[in-house]
Amino acid sequence: MNRPYRFVLGGALVAAILGFIVYQSFEATVFFYTPAEILAEPSNFEGKTIRIGALVVPESTHWDPEKVLLSFKVTEDNQTFIPIVFEGVKPDMYREGQGVVVEGRLDSEGVFQANNVLVKHSEDYSVDEAKRKNKEAAYRSLMK
Amino acid sequence: MLGWLSLAGFAVLGILIFGFTPPDKYMGFSQKIMYIHLPTVLGAYVAFFVVFFCSIGYLWKRTEAYDRVAKSSAEIGVIFSALVLVTGSIWGRPTWGTYWVWDARLTTSLVLFLIYVGYVLLRTFAGPGERQARLAAVMGIIGFLDIPLIHVSVQWWRTLHQESSMFRVDETGAAKPSMPPELLVPLLLSLAMVLIFYGYLMLYRIRVDLRDEALQKQLAKG
Repeated sequence: MNRPYRFVLGGALVAAILGFIVYQSFEATVFFYTPAEILAEPSNFEGKTIRIGALVVPESTHWDPEKVLLSFKVTEDNQTFIPIVFEGVKPDMYREGQGVVVEGRLDSEGVFQANNVLVKHSEDYSVDEAKRKNKEAAYRSLMK
Repeated sequence: MLGWLSLAGFAVLGILIFGFTPPDKYMGFSQKIMYIHLPTVLGAYVAFFVVFFCSIGYLWKRTEAYDRVAKSSAEIGVIFSALVLVTGSIWGRPTWGTYWVWDARLTTSLVLFLIYVGYVLLRTFAGPGERQARLAAVMGIIGFLDIPLIHVSVQWWRTLHQESSMFRVDETGAAKPSMPPELLVPLLLSLAMVLIFYGYLMLYRIRVDLRDEALQKQLAKG
């Protein structure tokens, strides 16, 4: 076998092995679980630090600015719901119906005690007609 | 020439993006980072594709020119991929609420940066000559495989990062960017601009490399 072919073959082999390892490691450690997955086997998750990825249920938000306490429910299939309690500031981009990734632990009562709430944003970008018309106000909002 | 064109282009784009492009409905002004973040992604991808292509060319033909282009492009790609990570973090803080998470998209992007930092280090420490060029070429080819992985990472795995906006497939199966034209046009211009800028940097880097080589030859003659 001549040299270039040896390189190509060796390179392809290394790439295949690397690819397999990377794929397996991401499969084994899922970035977040869905409420349905957790509620199917809650005992597997109780007390462990995990992430839940789901949508905020509309009209489930309760934000108490004095106690700095945010609570809401999440779901991804509209059938299984998990209540979330987060002692911290409501994220700027938090909206109901929006995707969130919450980090924390599921307590024995089935409430998820979050220590971090991350907000997903979709790949959609759009323009708000009100902001377009009132550009000055939009710029001023930057200074706040 | 390309340098002046880039400078003027970036100035015009700055005015266009901040003065005439409406803010995003939800993200507001922080969405403007998209006009830097996506072009740096493109810059890194193009730079590393050139490394990949020229590395194959070098192993095949053993022509010095291929090696020189690969070397120059890798250095520029490292800068672009560093900017990808930095601008992504700056964008992540106001939108996600975090500078960094270890999700598949962010992790594979960091790996891309580290692979080519390794590539540049290899070229620095392996000493001059044909052996260095050969080793680097192999690394340049294998390292490139991370790019398709980055691209599919948001589809294969659950991530915090959103899916592709530029190649989103609609119901009919056609790829269509998921934003209105008034946000898209400045983005496409920014993407075109970064290619011109990449071209400028490449020509500059290659010229420096040629002069460096000529200088080394002179010194060797003593």
